[in-house]
Amino acid sequence: MNSRPVLKIENLRTFFYSKGKRAFVRSVDGVNLRIGKGETLGIVGESGSGKSVTALSIMGLVPGEPGVIIGKIGLKTDNIQKNLLQDLRDYVKINMSTGRIMEVYKDNVGWQKNVDRVMQGIRGTEIAMIFQNPKLALNPFIPIGKQITESIRINTPIKKRSQARERAMYWLAKVKMDSPRLRYYNNPYGLSGGMCQRAMIAMALSSDPSLLIADEPTTGLDATIQSKIVDLLADLKSSVGVTTMLISHDINVIKALSDNVAVMYGGTLLEHGPVGIILSAEHQAKHPYTAALLESIPREKHIREKGYLQAIKGDVLDTINIPLGCRFYSRCDKVTEKIQEKCDNHEPDLREISSGHSLRCWLYYE
Amino acid sequence: MKLSAIRPIALLLARELAITALLILGVSFVVFIIIYLSPGDPFGTLLKGQTTLPNAPENIRGALGTPPAWYAQYLSWLVNMVQGDFGTSTRTGLPVLNEVIRVGINTLYLTIGSMMVTLLIAVPVALFAARRGQTPVNWVLTMLAYVLSALPVFWLGYIAIYISMHHFGLFPLAFASSAQKWSWLYFMFPVLVLGLSNGTTSEVVRFLREEMSRVFSEDYIRTARAKGASIWKHSFKEGFLIPITEIIASKIPFILGGAVVVEQVFNWPGMGRMAWQAAQDRDFPLIMGITLLAAVFVRMGSLLQRFVHILVNPRASKE
Repeated sequence: MNSRPVLKIENLRTFFYSKGKRAFVRSVDGVNLRIGKGETLGIVGESGSGKSVTALSIMGLVPGEPGVIIGKIGLKTDNIQKNLLQDLRDYVKINMSTGRIMEVYKDNVGWQKNVDRVMQGIRGTEIAMIFQNPKLALNPFIPIGKQITESIRINTPIKKRSQARERAMYWLAKVKMDSPRLRYYNNPYGLSGGMCQRAMIAMALSSDPSLLIADEPTTGLDATIQSKIVDLLADLKSSVGVTTMLISHDINVIKALSDNVAVMYGGTLLEHGPVGIILSAEHQAKHPYTAALLESIPREKHIREKGYLQAIKGDVLDTINIPLGCRFYSRCDKVTEKIQEKCDNHEPDLREISSGHSLRCWLYYE
Repeated sequence: MKLSAIRPIALLLARELAITALLILGVSFVVFIIIYLSPGDPFGTLLKGQTTLPNAPENIRGALGTPPAWYAQYLSWLVNMVQGDFGTSTRTGLPVLNEVIRVGINTLYLTIGSMMVTLLIAVPVALFAARRGQTPVNWVLTMLAYVLSALPVFWLGYIAIYISMHHFGLFPLAFASSAQKWSWLYFMFPVLVLGLSNGTTSEVVRFLREEMSRVFSEDYIRTARAKGASIWKHSFKEGFLIPITEIIASKIPFILGGAVVVEQVFNWPGMGRMAWQAAQDRDFPLIMGITLLAAVFVRMGSLLQRFVHILVNPRASKE
């Protein structure tokens, strides 16, 4: 936590238009994050809590036309130091009233061009990304080896085709692809999902990025392959040591790989701190949402006692109509009489309650 | 090319050849029946007003050894055709094969040229639209493509001739010799007219735009962007190559149809004009020959499509 940050996100908001541009979907609503050099930050939360959109916002790859992305994404590496959202304001005119965004006028083409210009030399080179569903995320018409070679030639000083190919073979071996020299020429459909994900990881790491964003790297793979990919990522973490932002809804994956954990819900961080504090069952001082997430991991003991699988009651927050109070209030089972009023009407801010551990809950405030 | 890539292509060729043979059989039979059942006969048309003998057509038919029954006529044509003998035109007496190849090349030039013109207009509009979404500029361009497609070929052809002849005196209405000044313009005009108004421009725009923007939203294009690679390069095969060959293949019959009109308007010595003349004369062997050539053109188009599809996507050969 004390090492200097590679990535520092301040008050990031990514809003989409809902149908007919009548309202905003507040997918990411005021996220603050920092990832120190060499650190692995796990971001955990249910589907729809804004994890992936945060990652795509960093890469400037938000699908469709976002209504607006504001805030600050500071990237500081050996080569580059800039705010990835710089100049975006020039392309948007926002009418605010009483602190809420009322109307947005946006030059989409100019916006997109600006994003592409700012991200030139960052995508792939400084920040690499691993996606979920590796079979779909690799180009089905190009052999995987060639895709890795292409990435190496774009993003590293190695420009000669033959050298890049050797390098790609090296990385294929490094991610423990069996017979990499043969697999190099395979198209993705000739490979299993696990192999494709290995190729994805090889491609991301081959450009020697300062930051690796792994967006649900184990989603869409079957259970045994998942654990193998997690083992591989753990291996690579110790041998390559790249700064990683790991996004998953699988707490076990986060637990196995992260140094710090951020818990996201409804577009904001509810809790942030070292993995040992947040995801250990023994440590009691934690956000009710985190506690509920931990409860919902299927365990033999729980199932025996209760006879059913524990889930968090209610649905994920509707990010169009954000409540005034705590976002988790409607599903929270730890609300007491004393703080009920506050939970319902005032959103708690993210406060540090012990060293490096901060959370957003009235329960822990005086 | 790797050896593994040759096998599916060889298989494809064999299958396509078999299909083409069946197609030729079917097409020739249907066309034969249609001309046979339509009123008038070649020798009656040919001798009209030239002789008073009522049985002159029968005499000629007897002298040429034409069998009386329709099936015998078709079979004798088929047997000769399989041996490479397409017969001679009843009107000119020239061998059909040579004639058809001569005009076929002219038509091929017209067809390919006009396809190029269509693509030159449609492809940039489609790609621009796919990349940038519906902007006002784009909307205007797309509308323009639709209007162009709606112009009738014969109308645009006559307008083009009228304007160039009467206002600029550019070229004579006869098929110009290559030595003549501005003769290349003569070649350009029919190609341009057919390319602009063959009715496929708007369809190419629509189809290519849809395919390209679908591919742009694929996961693997996002991956390409994430690693800083060109999205055009990554979407080229699925978003451009496959749709473009698909639409070329499916539009060849329409363009051949348009070519008939354009060749009439511009006196272009092509297949369409010859087919029209042959139909007037009830010139059985010539009609059959031209029909077969047209069928082969169409098959070549779809063969090209299958070929590209398999080259691009080796999975397709296993289907």
